[in-house]
Amino acid sequence: MLRKNGTAQPQGTDGYASRGSIASTARYILRNTLAAVAVLSFLVYFVSLPQAPALTVERTTAKSNESSGNNIIGGQPTRITWEAKVGNNEKVASVTLRFPAGSTIAQGANVKATVLDDMTRIETEQNPVLTGDYATIEFPKPVPSGLLLRIEVYNVALPSATGDYFIDASYVDSEGMRTDLLGAIPIKVIGITATESVISWLDQQEWVQNWNSVLFLRIFFNPQLIVAAIPGLFFGWLRSLGLVLVGFPLAIPIGLGISFLRMARGKGGAILRFISSIYVNVVRGTPLFLQMYIAFFGLPFLGINVDSYLLGILVLAMNSSAYLAEIFRAGIQSIHKGQFEASSSLGMNAIQTMFFVIIPQTVRRVIPTATSEFILLYKDTSLLAAVGVMEQMMFAKSMVANTGNMTPYIVAACYYLVVTLPLTKIIAVFEKKLAAAEGLTTAPEGKQKKKRASSLAKEDLSTGDCHE
Amino acid sequence: MNDAVIRIDNLHKSFGSLEVLKGVDLDVARGEVVVILGPSGSGKSTLLRCVNMLEKPTGGNIWFEDTLITDPKTDINKVRERVGMVFQSFNLFPHLSAKRNIMLAQRKVLKRSKSEAERIALEQLDKVGLGDRADYMPAQLSGGQQQRVAIARALAMDPHVMLFDEATSALDPELVRGVLDVMRSLAQGGMTMIVVTHEMGFARDVADRVIFMDGGIIVEQGSPQEVFDNPKHERTKDFLGHIS
Repeated sequence: MLRKNGTAQPQGTDGYASRGSIASTARYILRNTLAAVAVLSFLVYFVSLPQAPALTVERTTAKSNESSGNNIIGGQPTRITWEAKVGNNEKVASVTLRFPAGSTIAQGANVKATVLDDMTRIETEQNPVLTGDYATIEFPKPVPSGLLLRIEVYNVALPSATGDYFIDASYVDSEGMRTDLLGAIPIKVIGITATESVISWLDQQEWVQNWNSVLFLRIFFNPQLIVAAIPGLFFGWLRSLGLVLVGFPLAIPIGLGISFLRMARGKGGAILRFISSIYVNVVRGTPLFLQMYIAFFGLPFLGINVDSYLLGILVLAMNSSAYLAEIFRAGIQSIHKGQFEASSSLGMNAIQTMFFVIIPQTVRRVIPTATSEFILLYKDTSLLAAVGVMEQMMFAKSMVANTGNMTPYIVAACYYLVVTLPLTKIIAVFEKKLAAAEGLTTAPEGKQKKKRASSLAKEDLSTGDCHE
Repeated sequence: MNDAVIRIDNLHKSFGSLEVLKGVDLDVARGEVVVILGPSGSGKSTLLRCVNMLEKPTGGNIWFEDTLITDPKTDINKVRERVGMVFQSFNLFPHLSAKRNIMLAQRKVLKRSKSEAERIALEQLDKVGLGDRADYMPAQLSGGQQQRVAIARALAMDPHVMLFDEATSALDPELVRGVLDVMRSLAQGGMTMIVVTHEMGFARDVADRVIFMDGGIIVEQGSPQEVFDNPKHERTKDFLGHIS
C-alpha cells in the first residue's frame, strides 16, 4: 500500500512529476519493439508492483516527544525518520526533504542518511545540508537501485498547531533527472499541551537547573517530572479509585450477609457459623497478595478467563467482605441487648428489628472502622499492579521505567494521599459525633442542656443514669 | 376465672443448672394492678419477662386472654403487640427522636399510617407530660423523661396489659415521682398492670394485690393492707423490715 502511494502520488497531482515519468516511459517504449513492449508491460505490471520503477517512500515518522504520553508535540524537537526504496534501473544522487511550513530546527539539529541492503548497512559518502525548511543529502556516489535509504533528521520541530503533516521530498537520479514526491504518509502532531509548555518553561529556569543539580532532589522531586506525572498518572488514579469504588460497595452486602451467618442461631446455625467462620478466618489469615495470585493465575487453569480489571474488583471485594463481616458483627453485638428486647416487646419481628433498630445504630458505630477498611482497601489496589491490572501503581511504574527517575512514585504517593488524608479526617469527625450522640461526652446543645446543666447536674454526676 | 387476662400455671424457668422459677401460679384479672415485691434474685423480673416470652419458660403454661403463649406454634409477636413492657433501662431507640420512637412499631407492626401514628404519638407524649419534647433525641432527655417516653411508646400500641420491670430503679429520687404519677394515672384509667418495683408507697397506694416472691416461688399474696400491715410469712416480714 505504502509503496503504491509513494509512486502514484507524483504522477497524479504534480504536473512536473507527471511530465517526468511520462517522458521516461516514452523513452522506454522507443527503445524496444512493440512486441517486447507488450510482453514487458505485461510483466512490468505484475513484476514491478512489489518493486516500482521509481523511488518509493516506505516510512515517514516522528519520535514521540511528550513527557507524559506517546504523542508528537508540535514546536518541540523531535526526530523525523524517512525511508524510501530506490527503484529499478535508477540511482539516487541526492534527496531533499521539505519540512511543513512553520517547522524549525533546534540546537543540535542534524541530518544523516543510512543505506541498507536488507539488514546490512552500506557505508555511503554523504554531504548533508540542513535548514529550518529542508534537509538535503547529496551522494557523491549515487545510491544504487534496490537499496533502502533511511534519512533521519534530529532536533527538528514540527509546526506547533495540531494536525496531520506530510514530508514532501524530491530526489535527483544519477542522470540529473529530478522527481518530486508529495508526502503521503501523515505525521500526527498535537499542539503543545499546557503540561509541555510548563515543562519547557521549567527547563529554562535557572532555579530548576540548580534544584536538579542536587542528586536527591533531581531523582525524587524533579520539577519537570512532577508536572509531567500529574496528568500522566491521572488516569491511573481514576482506575485505582474505580477498583475500590466498585469493590468496596460490593463488599458491604457480602460482609453483612457473612456477619449474619456468623451470628446464626438455632439448629442449622452451627453449620452456618462454622462455614462463615472458615471463610472469615482464611481470608483474614492469608495475604491479599497471595489471594490475588491464586485468583489471577489459578482461574485460567480452570479455563475461566475473566477480564483482569473485573477480577481485581472481585478479589478486592471478597477480601474486604471478610473484614467488613467482623466489623459489622462487632457493631451489631455492641448494640445493647435492651434494644432487641424493646423491639421484641413492641411486637417487631427479627427482620424489622434488624432493619429499623439495630442496623441504623450499627451503621453509625461502624462508619469509622468501615472507613478505615476502605482506606486499607484503596491502598491495597496497588498490589494488583503485580498481576497486571492497570492502576495507579502500574502507571507510576511504567513512567519510572521510561524516565529512570523516582519522581512519578512520589506523585503517585500524593495521589493516594489526596484520598486517604481527607477520609482520615472524616473518621475523626464521625467518631467525635458518635461519642456525642451516644452521650459519652457532654450533652448536646439546646435548651435541655442548659436545664440539665443547672438543675440536673447533681443527678448526672451522682448516677450517670439515662444513657444507653 | 374467665375474666383473667393472664393465667400462669406452674411456671418453671432455669438458667442452666440454676432454677429461678420453681412453679409459679398467678392469675391477673382485667383491670387489676398486681405489684410484685421481693429481694434480688427472687425471680420476680424473670416471671415478668416470661409473660411476654422475653424469657422462654422451661416448664408450665401461660395464657394471654385465650392464647396459650407457651405453645411454640403461637405467633408470639401477635401477643407482644398487646402486652406493653417498660424496662429498667428505658431502652429507647437512641437514633430516633421521642416521637419517632413511639411511631416506629405503630407503623411497622400495627401498619398504621404515618399521620395516624404521629397523631397518636403526640397524644401519648401529652399524656406523659412531654408534649413539648416530641423532637428531642433520647440523649437530650433526662432519665425520667426517657422513661416516660418509653411508657408512651408502649401505650401507643393499645396494650391490654402493661408490664413494668423496675421502671424507676435507675432513676434519681426526684425523677421517680414523674414516672410513678404516670403509672398511677394509668392504673386509675383501668389498665391491667403487673409491676415489679421497690416503691413500697406506690405498691400500697395503687396495687389491687401485692405478691411477695422469694426463692423462685410466690411466698405470700394479698391486698396491700394484708401484706404490708399483717404479713403472715417470716420471709415477708424480714423483707419488709429491711425495706422500711
